Amino acid sequence: MSEITVEKLSYFHGKDTPYEIKALDGIDLKIQKGMITGLIGHTGSGKSTLVQMFNGILRPHEGKVLLDGEDIWKRPKDIRKIRFRVGLVMQYPEYQLFEETIYKDIAYGPKNMGLSESEIDERVREAAEFAGLEPDLLEKSPFDLSGGQKRRAAIAGIIAMRPELLILDEPAAGLDPRGRDSIFQNIAEYQKKSGSTVLIVSHSMEDMARYCERLIVMSGGKIMLEGNCREVFSHADLLESVGLDIPQITKLTMMLRERGIELDSSVYTVEEAFEKIIKLYS
Amino acid sequence: MKGISFGQYYPARSPLHSLDPRVKIILTLLYIVCSFLCKNVLSYALLLLSALLLVALGRIPLRIVLRGLRGVLFVLAFTALLNVFWTSGEVLLFEWKFIKIYLEGIYSAVFIMIRIAALIIGTGMLMTYTTTPIALTNAIEDLLSPLKKLHVPVHTFAMMMTIALRFIPTLTEETDRIMTAQKARGADFSSGGLIARAKALIPVLIPLFVSAFNRAGDLATAMECRCYHGGEGRTRMNVRHMRFVDVIPLFLIVAFGAALIVFNILAIGYTL
Repeated sequence: MSEITVEKLSYFHGKDTPYEIKALDGIDLKIQKGMITGLIGHTGSGKSTLVQMFNGILRPHEGKVLLDGEDIWKRPKDIRKIRFRVGLVMQYPEYQLFEETIYKDIAYGPKNMGLSESEIDERVREAAEFAGLEPDLLEKSPFDLSGGQKRRAAIAGIIAMRPELLILDEPAAGLDPRGRDSIFQNIAEYQKKSGSTVLIVSHSMEDMARYCERLIVMSGGKIMLEGNCREVFSHADLLESVGLDIPQITKLTMMLRERGIELDSSVYTVEEAFEKIIKLYS
Repeated sequence: MKGISFGQYYPARSPLHSLDPRVKIILTLLYIVCSFLCKNVLSYALLLLSALLLVALGRIPLRIVLRGLRGVLFVLAFTALLNVFWTSGEVLLFEWKFIKIYLEGIYSAVFIMIRIAALIIGTGMLMTYTTTPIALTNAIEDLLSPLKKLHVPVHTFAMMMTIALRFIPTLTEETDRIMTAQKARGADFSSGGLIARAKALIPVLIPLFVSAFNRAGDLATAMECRCYHGGEGRTRMNVRHMRFVDVIPLFLIVAFGAALIVFNILAIGYTL
């Protein structure tokens, strides 16, 4: 099991031009291994830039990205190997599908790794299952699939590389509520079964509260808060000040508490609230 | 890929920038004609001077204009060399085995270099450096509008050009995104031979084409929803009116051309 640590990481968009913007500002961070971490931040807070540092798509201008304690840019020529170990699913990944069949598209990553035919076959089928794709879809063209299925195919394309760390940038953006839930459930299941480390980027507090054990909140290119849901959501005012929010149900239970109803304030999902309210009145 | 500026447009406030783009297109054509009227030292000197004058009028740093010449440096050097070695004349300067260099060769090499450089600087200053691509397209549409009488779909072509120009930055961004996504799956765009590199681009080009077609379809629908039905009865939001100052340059360039013709007929200027 490997882990990612970053030290004093800074990055500028449009470096050395009049339009230079500091996207990341001296970030120190450690991604806890073997669990799902959520990276939350408002648009432009630098979260997408940060995750593109983790697999060496972007090269830091200052500071280091360490994988298992080793600087990933130590040998720039070997950066491809890092990308196989740290899998990044970009935003709207369905636009990257290009092969004639879903099977071939999922096989693109493993093929680039230089694996054997049988190894690739095994990984493709395994990844498709993790991503929730039915086996009969594998022989179809990407263009015959629905939006949600394409998204799953693209996620499978990364899982098939068996990355030690899986990063998903807004995996549920633009999907309907059922599609959202089911994608997140697939990711949670994948994490449980493979035991790998997963980092999800999102700005949906509800989803994050439900699926993540740890949360990292970014604002203005810096880490603002870090901790488990209870710790992070206890700073409701701070979150609101940077255009974020706590889950609606948490807000509701807080209001109920203020009115003297004996409810626990650490309620993050509707199901939890339901159980606690039922208990209160039975 | 980010930060690629499209075209050469250099934003500034100058007489050339504010000149009517339609006039600038006509000036460019006439300027090209003038450059071919040059036949003697005096004419070429004037041509070079006029190019520099245009740079001054456009208020663009000479450094940037010269940088634009860098791309054609090889062509310039090559044509100059060809002229030096292959022009025969009367005054032999140098002879060694089969190589003969004549004074006329040197002259024609210098002339051809001045002509190409002046053409590139002059047309660049008149059009691409000082006119936005959209203004240029509109101007072309206006100038070609008489062809509408012959049922040539001028407006359609102009609209196609405008749309193409508009989507260049969008497609650049898209390419960037897809390349990043494929890099995350281990794509390697920067090593291997020519064929390997071309093959590595397939995973970028296919999604790019697909999204470009989708975008085109969406745009067509969006335009139809706003009742776009081609050029008939369509008016512009900002209509340019020709001012008197816009006409002056036309007189100047015609005078310039006339002077060049007079030089040629009377053989004024140092002729070879």
